[in-house]
Amino acid sequence: MFTKVKPWLYLLPALIIYLTVICFPSLYSLYLSFFEWNGVAPDRKFVGLDNYVYLFTKDTVFPTALSNNLQWMLGSLVLMMGLGLALALMLNKRLKGRTWFRGIFYFPYVLSGIVVAMVWTWMYNPTQGFFNKVLELVGLESWTQAWLAEPKFALYAVFLAALWQGVGQPLVLFIAGLSSIPDDPYEAAFIDGASKFQSFYYITLPLLRETFVIVVATTMIGAMKVYDIVYAMTGGGPAESTQVLSSLMYYQTFRYANIGIGSAISWVLVLIVMIVLIPYVYYTTKRSHV
Amino acid sequence: MKRMLMLGLTLVMVASLLAACGGGNNSQSSPANQADGKQKKVSIALWTLSGSGWEWVVEAVEQFQNENPDIEVVHSSYAVDPMKENLKVAASSKTMPDIWFTWGGSLGSFYPENGLALDLSEIAEEHNYAEVYNKAALDMSTFNGKLYGIPMRLNALSMWYTKEAYEATNLQPPATFAEFEEQLEILKNAGYIPLAFGSKGGWHTMRLAELLIEHYGGPELHDQLLSLSASWDNEAVIQTFAKLKEYTDKEYFPKGYVSLDPEEAQNLMYQKKAAIINEGTWFDSSIITSGFDVNDFGVFKFPTEQSPVRPSVFAEMLQISADASPEKQAAAIKLGEYLTSVEVINQFVDVYGSPATLNVNTSEANPHMKEILDSASDGAFQIMDQALPQQLIQKWFEAQDRVALGDWTPQQAAQEMDKAVQEYVSKNSQ
Repeated sequence: MFTKVKPWLYLLPALIIYLTVICFPSLYSLYLSFFEWNGVAPDRKFVGLDNYVYLFTKDTVFPTALSNNLQWMLGSLVLMMGLGLALALMLNKRLKGRTWFRGIFYFPYVLSGIVVAMVWTWMYNPTQGFFNKVLELVGLESWTQAWLAEPKFALYAVFLAALWQGVGQPLVLFIAGLSSIPDDPYEAAFIDGASKFQSFYYITLPLLRETFVIVVATTMIGAMKVYDIVYAMTGGGPAESTQVLSSLMYYQTFRYANIGIGSAISWVLVLIVMIVLIPYVYYTTKRSHV
Repeated sequence: MKRMLMLGLTLVMVASLLAACGGGNNSQSSPANQADGKQKKVSIALWTLSGSGWEWVVEAVEQFQNENPDIEVVHSSYAVDPMKENLKVAASSKTMPDIWFTWGGSLGSFYPENGLALDLSEIAEEHNYAEVYNKAALDMSTFNGKLYGIPMRLNALSMWYTKEAYEATNLQPPATFAEFEEQLEILKNAGYIPLAFGSKGGWHTMRLAELLIEHYGGPELHDQLLSLSASWDNEAVIQTFAKLKEYTDKEYFPKGYVSLDPEEAQNLMYQKKAAIINEGTWFDSSIITSGFDVNDFGVFKFPTEQSPVRPSVFAEMLQISADASPEKQAAAIKLGEYLTSVEVINQFVDVYGSPATLNVNTSEANPHMKEILDSASDGAFQIMDQALPQQLIQKWFEAQDRVALGDWTPQQAAQEMDKAVQEYVSKNSQ
């Protein structure tokens, strides 16, 4: 009897924390999303699904924020993960100063998002910033822009800063994954006359499947909950063009005291992640050889 | 035996975790309350703004604690926008500090409206606030007939210019709106950025916009717009948006100003790259603490060509938590009155800004303060981001940006603003 109970006893402390800190507040925010409430007043008005209907039919900023999140997610999955994998492949080779380079590329990841935002905001400064000065120096003055002030560039400018900071995470995970692949399959492939690309495609990628599950999941979640760098670099502007769901949720909740709408946004965010992530993790782990 | 030991250990862990989750009133365990075992020390949390012009608070709080050894002050400070948001976070999570800085109007009224701020009306009578604080500041700290804040500063805004730019172009402060616009062109042609505004956050450019509304609409319509009793889809608002667009197209603002931080706009003034900015009575001390000479700057009233020529004003105050214990409330009131006392203001007069307290010394280091405050003596209007509800002011910020970027015409912007006002009014009248 005790043998059956023992694992649960070990799990209990973490379970209690998880239920208290994650599950209960999440379900409570779902409950709040059905109310009109300012977060403080004693009376709350039950409005059913009105907050969700408002977001999808009336709110002028929500569609922009949703689209920005989806673009951010796509960019993260393609560029951040692609760059992380490319760097990991390079830094997995036995080259001189490998550890030093790994540290250099990983370093931005340990910086606070606000610090990164401050550095990049200055680099983007239209009159005194690094990018425009460089363009002027190389004679491309006509290419200079107010990078954060143009809605068509602003989101991508912020994303570039996030890419610089965030690439360290997939890099480390891919390096760990690559380190666990033995040399034997590569040697066998070499003897069989496989090209480098074939080795990569038929050996490296399949053997990195578990790593990909983790990297895709964390990258996707990170992309959907992006907040600090947007808040610090543009505050969601200009003209709300860089709002993302998390910043909009924060503004609705804590600037305009619309707790119901803020909670509804957070659940839209959760649902999107679940819709994309659960089938992916299910599919990839099912195919896993482990 | 081994199993029993493990079970026991597990139960201890669970019990300790549950105890930790219990929370509740921790006043008994606070080291501050155990001071020396004899005297109970009251610990209060104070939130103020941070940055230039607020450094003095740290020293003043230190002095207060030395003079009141039975009170411990835990001081936290935040920048402008984080302060607004952190207070809302604290309000909804029931973790308000015992005493906090806030502004008047819709920013400060949220807390009394929701029962979070202490009604100070009785204290004001007992402590004779009418004799201590400026009447306008007391009025702006009053909501629904009750005083909910210890008035701290009463700020008026003005146009500031760099003397270097004006001397280089042989200009004098403008007397008419037409002259003001001519000067913008002259300054631009002389290589200066005529208007140093940064629209990140929206409120900096709003200060110019509200002066344009006052110019085109006049005091009566402006007041009606702010009280939501007139349609925002009107000619004065359209002309205001059109003028913002015109100034943007003529490059009177810094490049990329729609995403520029207001502090970066101020830096352009300090560096003498820009010529005109809209700042308030605090700007003398901001210039000093940034290491520049206040005598390099001058002020002028924006030529609204209305009678009276009204600047915008706003009050700042310290509110006390209605939920704090009576001991904490008493300590917080004592601290609030100390920070706004004649003695403290006179001690820090060079960097205090424009106090709401009467009979204080004026600072020679703040040569423009009196002139700006005097400009409000004939009348003033409440600054737009405090007069309007927060949802509506955010709509205004969005409209400003969209007009500047060419997404909306001035007419569209006025219509969108009016639509938002109507929705707000109908929702809140239900």
